[in-house]
Amino acid sequence: MDHIRNFCIIAHIDHGKSTLADRLIQRCGAVEARDFRDQILDSMDLERERGITIKANTVSLPYTARDGRTYELNLIDTPGHVDFSHEVRRSLMSCEGALLVVDASQGVEAQTVANLYLAMEFGLEIVPVINKIDLPSADVERVMEEIDRDLGLDPFASIQVSAKLGTGIDELLEAIVQRLPAPKGDPAAPLRALLFDAQYDAYRGAVLQVRAFDGALRAGTRVRFMHSGQEHKVEEVGYQRLKHVPAAELSAGEVGYVLAGVKTLSGLAIGDTLTEVERPAAEAVPGYHEAKPVVFSSFYPMATDEYGDLTKALEKLKLNDAALIYEKDSSAALGFGFRCGFLGLLHLDVVQERLEREYDLSLILSAPSVRYRIVLNDDSEVWVDNPSFYPEPTSVKEAYEPYIKATIMTPERYLGTVMELCRERRGVETTFNYLAAGRMEVLSQLPLAEVLFDFYDRLKSSTQGYGSFDYELLDYRLGDLVKVDILVNGEKVDALSQLVHREFARPRALRYCERLAKTIPRQQFKIAIQGTIGGQVIARTTINPFRKDVTAKCYGGDISRKRKLLEKQKEGKRKMKMVGAVEIPQEAFVSVLRTEDDEGDN
Amino acid sequence: VASAPGLYLHIPFCSAICPYCDFSVLRAGVPARKRFVEHLVAELPLAARGWPETRPFDTVYFGGGTPSRLPPEDLERVIAACREHLPIEPNAWVFLEVNPEDVTPDACAAWHGLGVRTLSIGVQAFSDGALRFLGRRHSASQARAAVESASAAGFHTVSVDLIFGLPGQSPEAWRRELATAAALEPGHVSCYQLTIHDRTRFGVAARRGQLSEMPEDEQAGLFEMTHRVLADAGYAAYEVSNFARGRDHESRHNRKYWDHSPYLGLGPSAHSLATGGVGSSGAHRWWNELRTPRWESRVAAGERPVEGEEVLGPKALATEAVLLGLRTTAGIDLEAFTGRYGFDLLAANDALVGSLVAEGRLAVQALHGGGRRLVTTVTGLAVADGMATAFDIPLPGGHER
Repeated sequence: MDHIRNFCIIAHIDHGKSTLADRLIQRCGAVEARDFRDQILDSMDLERERGITIKANTVSLPYTARDGRTYELNLIDTPGHVDFSHEVRRSLMSCEGALLVVDASQGVEAQTVANLYLAMEFGLEIVPVINKIDLPSADVERVMEEIDRDLGLDPFASIQVSAKLGTGIDELLEAIVQRLPAPKGDPAAPLRALLFDAQYDAYRGAVLQVRAFDGALRAGTRVRFMHSGQEHKVEEVGYQRLKHVPAAELSAGEVGYVLAGVKTLSGLAIGDTLTEVERPAAEAVPGYHEAKPVVFSSFYPMATDEYGDLTKALEKLKLNDAALIYEKDSSAALGFGFRCGFLGLLHLDVVQERLEREYDLSLILSAPSVRYRIVLNDDSEVWVDNPSFYPEPTSVKEAYEPYIKATIMTPERYLGTVMELCRERRGVETTFNYLAAGRMEVLSQLPLAEVLFDFYDRLKSSTQGYGSFDYELLDYRLGDLVKVDILVNGEKVDALSQLVHREFARPRALRYCERLAKTIPRQQFKIAIQGTIGGQVIARTTINPFRKDVTAKCYGGDISRKRKLLEKQKEGKRKMKMVGAVEIPQEAFVSVLRTEDDEGDN
Repeated sequence: VASAPGLYLHIPFCSAICPYCDFSVLRAGVPARKRFVEHLVAELPLAARGWPETRPFDTVYFGGGTPSRLPPEDLERVIAACREHLPIEPNAWVFLEVNPEDVTPDACAAWHGLGVRTLSIGVQAFSDGALRFLGRRHSASQARAAVESASAAGFHTVSVDLIFGLPGQSPEAWRRELATAAALEPGHVSCYQLTIHDRTRFGVAARRGQLSEMPEDEQAGLFEMTHRVLADAGYAAYEVSNFARGRDHESRHNRKYWDHSPYLGLGPSAHSLATGGVGSSGAHRWWNELRTPRWESRVAAGERPVEGEEVLGPKALATEAVLLGLRTTAGIDLEAFTGRYGFDLLAANDALVGSLVAEGRLAVQALHGGGRRLVTTVTGLAVADGMATAFDIPLPGGHER
């Protein structure tokens, strides 16, 4: 067991985690040079493009150290975004150590701190890594100071690397072997193996990623999930190199994959513990809690005949994304679709992009919503995450909305702007702390709903990219909510309905109206766009009709040409949604959800 | 409702090419014109063989180009050849497009003698400035004289073509053009909005930023004014660009294009439509070679000079019926439409028609003998193409190839 090192890399987005992982893999020779492609672990195109890790991946690397011994380095990748913190927790639990990557020019950011706290919560040994030292803007000294002051770690214990150039990778590998502890556990005790991730494989079903804590997993063992109660027979175990390498067993301390005839991921709970049916462990690995969606949005296919395709695509996506939940939904304006629940906005984004790219679907999304707790006059309680199901306002006694604790790090010069942004978004108990010279940490309690709506983009732009942000859910608090409906020529576009704090209802409604007025094409009749609360108009815009849209001549040769042009235009209109007689392009639905800053691009 | 077939003859010659014109036209001397007539006469038996309709033609339309570039003897020869190869009503209505500079009392007498009943004069404008801009070869006074000569010659209908929406044209200037036209009392007026086509001299100028079509609001202003002024002068609009002083002066030839009556086109670029012989619910459209030399060489080789064709299924026909119907004030007879295409146009476009009626662009009229008609108002005519695009035609498939 003492030749095993289980570790993860934690980093802020863009601080170079994936590149670093690539370099470690390459240096350990786990991949032939000709098979090498950048960012091996980020298997989705989307991950590579965005530079973030969405699905955790794991790889076992054989490494021959300077002491001449060969170690098994299990690199357990962690998702790089707050939305996926439940997955981060599971990954951290499987490790004894962590590499904490800090960008040599960006320095410590809010997420770095949040991730460090998480890692420390799980008692991991931390090796600070200063990456991108090759950049001209690298300021290693300043970053060392931040590691000392903001993170409370020994800056002189940090390893300086350039993952891009490969500088310092050998030192880092030695540090992993020398400084990170080997796993502990009792191979003879009853089996306890933590399920920290799973992938869906079209041929093999669910591939479980596990970390054995006690006992051993072998083919033929009957196992039980301690939380879900499901039982399966293990078919194969092995190590996760870049390919699956079957092994006789996965014993205490080891990390690897398990095939156990699990068909889909949907019944699996990441964080569950596998034990042996014959000889069950007394207690599961601690820290299990269910990943709960906090953001909800309805997805509708742009073309109604794509509903079947969307159904199939979601089923497939769900195989690989246990956190995604969805149920059937229908909209008067948009037809049949699905109400989906997400871990956060990025998760929503990722699902949307995957559906559009990998399944070639064209989607319309409703405005994202949080889940509200509504107390009715008869003191009964309902949970509402879809504005369409908001109860009759007169029957609502109290409405509660989720709050988060936001941690924002920013250079001192933007403190005022950041405080103002929190205030605008109904932040309460906003306080700040000085960190290292010129750096501040702002803490604020904010309604989650206000964060959903372009908060992160605003923070980024008002701090010129330097602000960073992390959050955790706090509690539910009383709020003054109203439901804003959007009407197009008198017809309600239910997918655009929103629950909003009363104070923001009018500006939000007006903004929606204005965006729609910009993106809905003119037609041959006037189009009125209204924002209403309970039938009362609070915002309005108008799209004036065409006045002249006809060609002068239409004789023999013009007719075929004209009809063909018209058929082409109609083909284009297939991409429009009809609300009454008004043709609304997908772009209009997208535009209302876009942040202010994007407007300049149009 | 489909009527008897019409015959169209395309005479591509012009004394000069107008900078806005995108028709199949060319300049040529006398020998080339003679050669052209030979080929046109030679096309007749070829076309007659492929013509499936049995009803006789009741209109013969000389268009172009400038048919008045052909001497009357040539026109006579062509008409005689038509009668030899095709069934043509003895009193078929003959239309002739002419340019003002060719309209003399003698010419008028000759044309009248050929059976021409509608003389359509390419006046375009009654002011020298506008005529110069349009690259026309006649003067304002020639234009007036031409209309007067034609009126005196006893044609059933004299038609005046005008172009509006010239860059910078003021509503006042255009009103004067209309007033001049109305004062000459032709039976028919066509008013075409200036359109800048790509492959024209104006198109080139537009690409260089030297010229552009009038902004939409101004176009709409002139369009609406045209309809107002001409209505006041006794000219009723019956199509987007066409006005007549009484039903009798409306073009019974052009009407065929708009109600899917059959038509046979001869000469380069001419289009034909046949509704017989392709099954009860379809139609067949074909078109001749666009360029005169290619058209001539195919005719010379004894081939039908057809460049392309299409079969129109019910969906394409219904789409065109809406497209064309909305451009005419006669509109769409809804019961006839349902009978022909098997669906209720209004029911399929309920919300759309409601919005357009509320906007004052369409009206649903009850017919005297029962039934209803969907008709376009003046502001509706101004957006007829856009309206047509919005209509849903719930029939399967596109048009078959």
